[in-house]
Amino acid sequence: MQWSKIKLIFLRELRDQLRDRRTLFTIAVLPLILYPLLGMSFLQVAQFTREHRSTILLQGADDLPSTPRLLDGENFAAEVCPGSEAQLLRIVPRPSPQPAPAAEELRQEAQKAIRSGQCDAVVYFPHDFGERLAAARAAMDADATSGDAETVSPPPIPEPRVFASTANDKSRIAADRVERILRRWRELMVQQNLRHRNIPLAATEPFHLVDTDVAEEVSRRAVVWSKILPFVVLIWALTGAFYPAIDLCAGEKERGTLETLLSSPALRGEIVWGKLLTVMTFSTATALLNLASIGLTGTFIISRLTSLGGAIRIGLPPLGAMLWLAVALIPISALFSALSLAIAAFARSSKEGQYYLMPLLMITLPLMMIPLLPSVELDWGSSLIPVSGMMLLLRAVIEGQFRDAITHLPSVILVTMACCWLSIRWAIDQFNNEGVIFREGERWSLGAWLRHLWRFRERTPTFGMAILCGVSLLLVRFFASFLIGTPQSWSAFAVVLLATQLALIALPPLLMTGMLTTSWRQTMLLRWPGFPSLFSAVFLALAFHPAALVLHELIQWLYPLSPDVRAAAGTINALAAEAHWLPRLLVLALTPAICEELAFRGFILSGLRHMGHKWGAIVVSSLFFGAVHGMLQQSLSACAVGIVIGYIAVQTGSLLPCILFHVTHNSLVLTVGVHGPRLVDQFPQLRWIYQVQQDQFRYQPYVTIAGLVLAAGFLAWYRLLPFRATEEERLRSLLEHQALRPAAK
Amino acid sequence: MIHVQQLTKAYADLKRGQFLAVSGVTFQATAGQIFGLLGPNGAGKTTVLRILSTILRPTSGTAIINGYDLRTQPALIRHQIGFVSTNTAVYDRMTAWEMVEYFGRLYGLADDELRERMERIFLRLQMNDFRDQVGAKMSTGMKQKVSIARAIVHDPPVLIFDEATVGLDVLVARALLKTVMELREQGKCIVFSTHIMREAERLCDKIAIMYRGHILSEGSLPELLERYHETDLEELFFRLLTDYDAAPALAGNPR
Repeated sequence: MQWSKIKLIFLRELRDQLRDRRTLFTIAVLPLILYPLLGMSFLQVAQFTREHRSTILLQGADDLPSTPRLLDGENFAAEVCPGSEAQLLRIVPRPSPQPAPAAEELRQEAQKAIRSGQCDAVVYFPHDFGERLAAARAAMDADATSGDAETVSPPPIPEPRVFASTANDKSRIAADRVERILRRWRELMVQQNLRHRNIPLAATEPFHLVDTDVAEEVSRRAVVWSKILPFVVLIWALTGAFYPAIDLCAGEKERGTLETLLSSPALRGEIVWGKLLTVMTFSTATALLNLASIGLTGTFIISRLTSLGGAIRIGLPPLGAMLWLAVALIPISALFSALSLAIAAFARSSKEGQYYLMPLLMITLPLMMIPLLPSVELDWGSSLIPVSGMMLLLRAVIEGQFRDAITHLPSVILVTMACCWLSIRWAIDQFNNEGVIFREGERWSLGAWLRHLWRFRERTPTFGMAILCGVSLLLVRFFASFLIGTPQSWSAFAVVLLATQLALIALPPLLMTGMLTTSWRQTMLLRWPGFPSLFSAVFLALAFHPAALVLHELIQWLYPLSPDVRAAAGTINALAAEAHWLPRLLVLALTPAICEELAFRGFILSGLRHMGHKWGAIVVSSLFFGAVHGMLQQSLSACAVGIVIGYIAVQTGSLLPCILFHVTHNSLVLTVGVHGPRLVDQFPQLRWIYQVQQDQFRYQPYVTIAGLVLAAGFLAWYRLLPFRATEEERLRSLLEHQALRPAAK
Repeated sequence: MIHVQQLTKAYADLKRGQFLAVSGVTFQATAGQIFGLLGPNGAGKTTVLRILSTILRPTSGTAIINGYDLRTQPALIRHQIGFVSTNTAVYDRMTAWEMVEYFGRLYGLADDELRERMERIFLRLQMNDFRDQVGAKMSTGMKQKVSIARAIVHDPPVLIFDEATVGLDVLVARALLKTVMELREQGKCIVFSTHIMREAERLCDKIAIMYRGHILSEGSLPELLERYHETDLEELFFRLLTDYDAAPALAGNPR
């Protein structure tokens, strides 16, 4: 690729976008006017919020004790309600209904009054409230003079009631306000009782609790901004990337200029990089302008609220935080830009492109929301989650937790860069894919599609069928998990597992192979690979197992199992331990190996290879394989194992070595993993291979390293096998190795 | 200059499943010659031209263009060709001058050389009146001139015109055909697709009649007329198409 061409395309696209009024409005004008307008609205709303009065319907106001006073005329007494609060409350006094209504009747009356807007909350004092209060006090006096607690029955405690609707904000606020006043009134009564019995007031408060905030001023100021700013910036980075991406891809298709550009000497990679830099520029600029605008508006609003004497808990946005956000924006913009470009390349028109924004948002929004959860902190596990890790890192930096930030910076950068690389690669692949670039509109109907699937079956499944199969397996597995209860015995557990594997994992791809393809042999890789491949698969599984165990431990360290999951896993292990070793291996090792290989390395991998990317197909099939395991920790381990098995499948072109690897691996997990500590106790000579530390069973480090070296050797041997490339893989290889300069003569 | 050998392109859609848009197309065109691809809509002309301009990859077969193989050297072929597509393909927010300059730079032309060529092309195609006008405000004729200027700015030996006169008024179409003939005089090898008989008759040194992805017949206009004992290209065209439809087994192509 030539930088001069990338620069040329970038500058043209940049100039083109800058001449587009819609783009300029989104990236420059909108941020500049949006936040000041929002700020103005906020101030107005805040004003209304402060001035809103709550109306309280007070039933039984005529029978309240005179001391301490709750009411002073038609207002709350000053002792229980300071002037500022009194202004926010309006009382509608009513006598208490007689005879006393039932609780449900009272609730319905209050609900009616609140719903009709007559009041925001209802306070009900029973008609004998004053008398019962006096009786309770008299009983306490009698109790104190007699000194015999057993002879005096405790008087019933009076129960005034507050009725409010939690579904209505105004009602909730009114209830809060009136409950605060009632609590103060109750405290006054307690003090009066204590004074009456000559007990010092300090008896109710033996010690004072003193809170001290150790956070620095900067961190205190930054705490709210640390959650808001990364979220706002990332949302705008995504929005700022998507619209230019649609114009640069779908827009070019509509205008017909993409065809001309593709016939020019610019390589597809150069075109993508040029466009990517443009989209990145707009994504970064949009986010930065929003950041600047929100910072300025925030500063203005906080100064205004401070000058008005409002009690605000957030300070001005820290300047350092803004700078860090600007720095972190570059890789995030690159990631969003590449994703947007790849998705926009698929759209035939700008209008169609708009529809694709929602799925992209649906995928990225949860990743942006995770860091907003109160219990989520920056640690090794969270730092490896794309987007979320970056947001948590930014939060740590803004809050001044620099040690945490520096510790996790490499992992966050590594994950972000890896995602960027994958997204850019995907975008380039999209531009190299004729089916995407010259996708033509075709009237789609279910009938025509089903007929097409049946009439024009090919030897192996298509890419779409493979994805459909993977998604179906995940969905079926997800819903089945709600229907299947926890088994109570080994036999029940075995039946559930066999049924799940056969009906939910193996059956769908087998049916799809029979109905949608013409060759069982090619789809399910049913060919004899030769004994060396089979032996190598078994030995590779043996050599790989120590590393798999280390990986498993690492994953559990990064994402620790919750106590509930650990308990559930313990129950399953206990059930498995009940069984004889042979049925255990048959049910837990052999059956999953066969069923899962048929699905993931058979149907799904065969279909995915039509994407023309051997490694892409292996990774995507492994992602499905991992995801079907349900639990995150197990999924990550399975995904890594799936990549190794996928490679064996592609290189040997046969499912048999894959099944052998899988069954060997599962058997090792079941025997060595579960019974390892007992085996080491029984046969101490095994200690040169295994070690047991703090109830953790693992291989000796030198065994793990030797295993890894051996595994690498076996994989290298597989690499030498003449693997059968698909037509798409051959075409892509041809394209990637094309001559760019004339051969020297 | 252009040797097309057994070029085939397969597509798939819901209705037809896998089908051949271009099937075993073979022809040759030399320098200073206009090779016409004549056929109705959907005959596969645009697909052939898109393959020749390296936008699409052939399913099988290949073409050698000015010594470079289409399958293995597409990047080198792009320097040898200029492509004018059916739609005028002009950027709405760029001026005529900027567009031609942009493509000239993509072809790696040096500043001085590019400027000199552009001045010459703008003068010859009478584009100076609208050189600073943006694409969105150009007429169809202006856009087509920009499209031609963009295709010839790097002085390629091969030019590919895909139904370039579609949507043009008679005057502009006539001017365009005149430009194509001038380019032939300069020794360019030109592949020109059209479904208009008169254009093919007036312009093309050799004509290939395409239908349903196949070349039904190929030769100079007198050769074709003599071969089929016809006096008129239009009559010959209809006869070939009708014969093809009447004899599917001979064609060997599923419809």
